[in-house]
Amino acid sequence: MTKSAENGLTFQEMVRRLTDFWAHHGAVVALPYDLEVGAGTMCPETFFRVLGPNPWSVAYVQPSRRPADGRYGENPNRLIKHTQLQVILKPPPETVQDIYLCSLKDIGIDFHHHDIRFEEDNWEAPTLGAWGIGWQVMLDGLEITQFTYFQQSGGVDLDPISVELTYGLERIAAFLQNVNNVYDVKWNNSLKYRDLRHREEFELSLYDFECASPDSTRQLFEIYESEAARLLKDYFNVDRDHRPTRFPLRKVYEFCLKCSHLFNILDARGAISVTERVALIARIRKIATEVAQIYLEQSIPAAEVEQV
Amino acid sequence: MTVEKAQLTEPLLLEVGVEEIPARFLAGSEQSLGERLTETLQGLRLVRPDGSRASTFSTPRRLVVFVPEVVLRQPDELEEIVGPPVKVAFDPEGKPTRAAESFAERNSVPVRKLLKIETPKGLYLGLRKRARGRAAREILAAALPDVILGVSFPKSMYWTEKAGPRFIRPIRWILALLGEGENSRMVPFEIAGVKSGRSTYGHRVAGSKAIPVKGFGQYIEELHEHQVEIDPRKRSEIIRSEIKAVLEGRNLNAVKDEDLHDWVINSTEWPHALLGNFDPRFLHLPREILVTVMRDHQKYFAVEDASGALQPNFVTIMNLGQDAAGLIRNGHERVLTARFADAEFFWQTDLRVRLEARQESLASVTFQAQLGSYADKVERMAGIAGGICTQLEQQGEIEAHETEYVMRVVRLCKCDLVTQMVREFTELQGVVGGLYAREQGEPSEVADAIYDHYKPTSVGEACPRSKVGAVVALADRLDSVVAGFAVGLEPTGSSDPFGLRRAGNGIVKIAIESLSRLDLGLAIATAVEFAGKIFAGSKEDALGEQVENFLRERMEFYFREVEGLRYDTVRSILSPNVSGRLNVPATALARARSLELVRDTEDFLALAAAAKRTRNILTKSGGVMDGGGAPAVNVGLLGDGPERELYAAYEGLKKDLESLERAGDFGASFRAMAGIRSQVDLFFDKVLVMAEDPAVRENRLRLLIHLNRDVFARFADLSEIAVENRGSAVT
Repeated sequence: MTKSAENGLTFQEMVRRLTDFWAHHGAVVALPYDLEVGAGTMCPETFFRVLGPNPWSVAYVQPSRRPADGRYGENPNRLIKHTQLQVILKPPPETVQDIYLCSLKDIGIDFHHHDIRFEEDNWEAPTLGAWGIGWQVMLDGLEITQFTYFQQSGGVDLDPISVELTYGLERIAAFLQNVNNVYDVKWNNSLKYRDLRHREEFELSLYDFECASPDSTRQLFEIYESEAARLLKDYFNVDRDHRPTRFPLRKVYEFCLKCSHLFNILDARGAISVTERVALIARIRKIATEVAQIYLEQSIPAAEVEQV
Repeated sequence: MTVEKAQLTEPLLLEVGVEEIPARFLAGSEQSLGERLTETLQGLRLVRPDGSRASTFSTPRRLVVFVPEVVLRQPDELEEIVGPPVKVAFDPEGKPTRAAESFAERNSVPVRKLLKIETPKGLYLGLRKRARGRAAREILAAALPDVILGVSFPKSMYWTEKAGPRFIRPIRWILALLGEGENSRMVPFEIAGVKSGRSTYGHRVAGSKAIPVKGFGQYIEELHEHQVEIDPRKRSEIIRSEIKAVLEGRNLNAVKDEDLHDWVINSTEWPHALLGNFDPRFLHLPREILVTVMRDHQKYFAVEDASGALQPNFVTIMNLGQDAAGLIRNGHERVLTARFADAEFFWQTDLRVRLEARQESLASVTFQAQLGSYADKVERMAGIAGGICTQLEQQGEIEAHETEYVMRVVRLCKCDLVTQMVREFTELQGVVGGLYAREQGEPSEVADAIYDHYKPTSVGEACPRSKVGAVVALADRLDSVVAGFAVGLEPTGSSDPFGLRRAGNGIVKIAIESLSRLDLGLAIATAVEFAGKIFAGSKEDALGEQVENFLRERMEFYFREVEGLRYDTVRSILSPNVSGRLNVPATALARARSLELVRDTEDFLALAAAAKRTRNILTKSGGVMDGGGAPAVNVGLLGDGPERELYAAYEGLKKDLESLERAGDFGASFRAMAGIRSQVDLFFDKVLVMAEDPAVRENRLRLLIHLNRDVFARFADLSEIAVENRGSAVT
């Protein structure tokens, strides 16, 4: 046992071991996405790749924004930007639960001394038209992973399905290091989570709760939405056989993600009514489902060509 | 037709290994699999009608059925094949005709082997074939996949491919064993790429090694060895005794919670209790919040001392034999601390904003898409509550200062919907508002009523503690019901999307238990005035009638199911034929209880029969039923004897009933009614109502109209009382 394991792995060592684990199980280790996302699910490496028939296996670390969870860096557990390890297994191996549990063993969790439970929790992302069936994985009463058998994404039934594993890295690290405050987590042997992230938490919370103007946030939402709508219109105005193959699909998707994040800010500010909330979600979902449709239109012929 | 002979049997053990089944669906899934297997075995004649029953078991990772006696081989079956009639099959000389020969050919037997079979249509030519029963193993191999995949779940998934099987969670192994010991054999089949086998698997902590199974007894033992108790009833006992054990000697009790108990049974394979502690500083938070965090979010049992005071402890049920190093307890304690810290944060930040300052925000919280926001609802509730208070003040049920409290509570009661605490713990709506109101210095009358105003959520739950709370709770529900009906959200059949039946039951319960002088008809009219008219197009009269009928049904339900009154007693009391103050539910209930007590006496049943007869006569003659405008009886036209005697008895009774009604003594009223039974009987026995002389006939009908109005349908419609098989005295 290494010295760091005795005291619980450092944050960076834990992340390295988990990504190594999935790399050894054949996953591509991808890079974090460079836009604000609410969860690793929203990254193109998940959103697009779970669609269609092609097998895919990926693991990546993804900082994820939850404006409503902002606490100015004052709450020991809630973060406006937390870090997920996102794993997609398509199609999932039959022993997927066992493999997942092995990944926990790799970071030092001994199941003879810890109580691990799979509690029903069916995940849903209405803005993406995505949902699945699964569990929250509880470790001694702490939710550490969302484990989902994806059933639908972008409004499309998935076939084959993917298993999505979403590890909540900060809380797992705090657990391993036996600290009560996420800011006390050792990032490496000399720096703490606080040193890297505390000021950022404060500033992001400050903006989202105090500085963000609901009016300009709303305007930004509409600008991004209209940009997506303009491009989508150009695409769908052409009949199916003549639609352009030169199309900035992933850029349209970026606009969709921008809308989603801005929506979250508005929501955290309490600036939208429940009725409006439903309507805004539907607007974002419309972009997401059209993007998914185009992805399938463009990728399925490509797959057929490859087979020839 | 089956061939009876001694049937050899052997046991069948079926275990479906599944990834963790949601706790709330486990018991239902276990039962469904057991029922499906039993039905299938019966249908396939693989169990004897008198054979021992299947037992079922379950853990989150397995559904198990054990059938002690499955017959080894289906009984042989004798099949009768009927051919042409004998008359047609042989010619006059007795030789087989073409019909006989072709029937024999088709069945590959010589004509001489055919039998003459007696049928209802006459004598026919035919034959009997013995169909050999097939081996159980072979039949089960074909049948078990459907048995398993046919288990019904409220929510299922696919995991192999879209066209693949659906189940609650992925199936990972199947144990299907027929027989016991050396002779046991596996029943071969495959579901979703999983081949059935003869192995089981232990608790996750025991690793993923397959455990060979030879029979049910050994299966149970091996699983115990590998930390699995398959019997939920045993897990229940273990959990109870473990909780007792960890609290032993500390003078502490776990707060009773049967729902939580069921949840932990159904989420563990090897349950053990663990006692944890939390920082006593959190005890300054209200008990309701602490218990909700522990129960709903962490599935812990809260702990209290002998006096019922909450203690800084909790009991969690782990799915593991022991916590030798104390790491599990430490983990739970840390999680709970974080949860409580969150709740404390909500509590402190929420308290900085007064409830009344939150009223405006209610405009952004939707009550129901067609019914607007909570701000709209509060507006309507204020109108309804005001009307109810006016009524109740006039009736002396409440006083003016209570009306003031009611109006304040209406303004504040929904404000907690926009607090962080309720956003996080929605199940605490109302309760949190009440707690904040108290902290912020609202009078306790106001705070308690806010706290209580969602009560009762079921007919078993207590009503709000005060009349103030009761009025607000009533106005809230009346608004939901009336506004719901106005936009077409009324319940139909088994569907009640807006929960209006429950709201209706609450209205009845509150009226009966808390506001005994409430005139519900008047309250409905008030509600229609405030909640109904804002919806263009809905006709107020029709709406009022709809709601009245709906609430009458709810009263019927309540009187029958909650008060245990007999069906016809209830119908009789709530009959639309009864004039007068039916609209006060508490009075109606008092009447119903009194009626229930006297209705079985011989005199009363006779009277009920007479009431029925009266009603028939009046219906046939087109008489005025309510008697409101019926002209007085002409005493001069009454015949001597029974007719005059009945009239005298009626006059006396009428006076008695008036004073008894003022005294509210319905028992005495019904007994007094039964007192004129002999005069009534004699009248119908000796007097012809439909006399030839039109003036006499008219006068007799008048007498019956008055009798009906003032007696038979005064407090209850006695003609609704079932007298079948009882009333030999009168027909």
